[in-house]
Amino acid sequence: MEIRKNRIKQRLKEGKHVIAIENLNDPDTVEQFAPNDPHCFWFEGEHFNVNPQNIGDLTRASDLINATSIVRVPRPEYQVIYHALDLGAQGVAVPHVKNKFDAELVVKASKFSPIGKRGMFISRQGIGVDDYFQKANDETFVLVFIEDLEAIENLDEILDVENIDVFFVGPGDLSQELGHSGEINHPDVKKIVQEVINRITKKGRVAGTVANASSYEWAMQTGARFFLSGALDWINHGFDDFNDFLLSIEN
Amino acid sequence: MNIRRNIVKERLHQGKTVSCLAAWGYSGPDQIERLAPMKPHGVFLEGEHGNVDPPNLSNFTRACDIIGATPIVRINQNDQGVIYRTLDLGALGIVVPHVNNKEEAENVVEGGKFYPLGKRGSFTSRQGIGVDNYHDLANDQTMLIVLLEDIVAVENLDSILEVDHIDVFMVPSGDLAQSMGLPGQANHPDVQKVVDETMRRITKKGRITGAIANKSNVKNLYDNGARFLLCDPRPYMSEGFKKFQEFAGKHIK
Repeated sequence: MEIRKNRIKQRLKEGKHVIAIENLNDPDTVEQFAPNDPHCFWFEGEHFNVNPQNIGDLTRASDLINATSIVRVPRPEYQVIYHALDLGAQGVAVPHVKNKFDAELVVKASKFSPIGKRGMFISRQGIGVDDYFQKANDETFVLVFIEDLEAIENLDEILDVENIDVFFVGPGDLSQELGHSGEINHPDVKKIVQEVINRITKKGRVAGTVANASSYEWAMQTGARFFLSGALDWINHGFDDFNDFLLSIEN
Repeated sequence: MNIRRNIVKERLHQGKTVSCLAAWGYSGPDQIERLAPMKPHGVFLEGEHGNVDPPNLSNFTRACDIIGATPIVRINQNDQGVIYRTLDLGALGIVVPHVNNKEEAENVVEGGKFYPLGKRGSFTSRQGIGVDNYHDLANDQTMLIVLLEDIVAVENLDSILEVDHIDVFMVPSGDLAQSMGLPGQANHPDVQKVVDETMRRITKKGRITGAIANKSNVKNLYDNGARFLLCDPRPYMSEGFKKFQEFAGKHIK
């Protein structure tokens, strides 16, 4: 059997954008999204209910509709990272990577030898695959979050670390340290995000950031190519729009 | 403690519209709680075709309660035991599919209301915890919705509409189309004609009707009397994703 291809790694290689969809942390819900042919689902394990109990079901649903599954793990920790991959994630997103040591740890945990030393185990993605341990590295997507001022100070050394697919500039946590807590569209926050994205892309690496209803037009012109977008935001827009229209009929 | 009020039922009987979000393509208790800022009047939980059933009903209905949205559950059979167990687990509204005649409509009321209106099994629901006189108050807050979705139900409409204590009579077109020999053709003019006429007959009798609504059909629905409006979040998500994708495609690749 062939290993399942990682669709977003391929897209990024071709210079294309990727939209990772969050808020749909439920297998039936993921499957229902199929007609939209999504690139990728983002399963939230740093802040939401995604954990070893449901990663198998979530990633299976995602595989079935040909969307890449990414699990955001709670912290840059060796076993936590490869456990998510063992359970079927095709990619991991690791929050609060602050220096070269953290970034190297992420790669060590995500890739088998000779690149790293991910714990030896055949993931859901490796069932029946010949030479899984040789092929897994090519199909495993790795994203690290640059979301602390400390990480920005150490950015150059972090960007020297190979085998990281996306450096994601997280505006939420940065906004806290910049004194504009939660205001991801504040000009000061946008300025820093843009600067960091410029430094990432200048080094030939791929940048990512948040693209929500209020920020996507800006975010998609920053030079980033990987975007985290919330389905909830889209529902909110559609439902508000309907209710405004209904109100105009009633009055 | 006071009983939790059924906001959807209250608004409907005041002649107002209600906008409910259907948990189609977006579901799960934690996900539903995050709908709070949108202030839906109710949330429609899918147990006829979806995964909502006794092991998860309490968590689903609790998530609705905590955001002030009335939990409405579609069940999969017109069975009194199923109706009152769903209410026992926290539903404030029950949607019963394929109600085709007066007896079937009466069965819904019998299962959904305590004595003297019906003979719902005696038990204190999640909604009755700590409530004084729950058995006296529950009937007022319990909402019953029936789906008239076979052409035979349309033929029996007058007698069905004689049944009291049913809050909403819906006329969904998907199954109706099948029963008219037009499977998969819910938008066929013959089907839509029956739906429109039936909704107007329901409204004319002073009863309430409703439908799945969107911006393109809601004016017509409203004019036919529909006040219980069900919104499908799937098109909202598709449109949002498409818009983002097109923008990214234009500015990136």
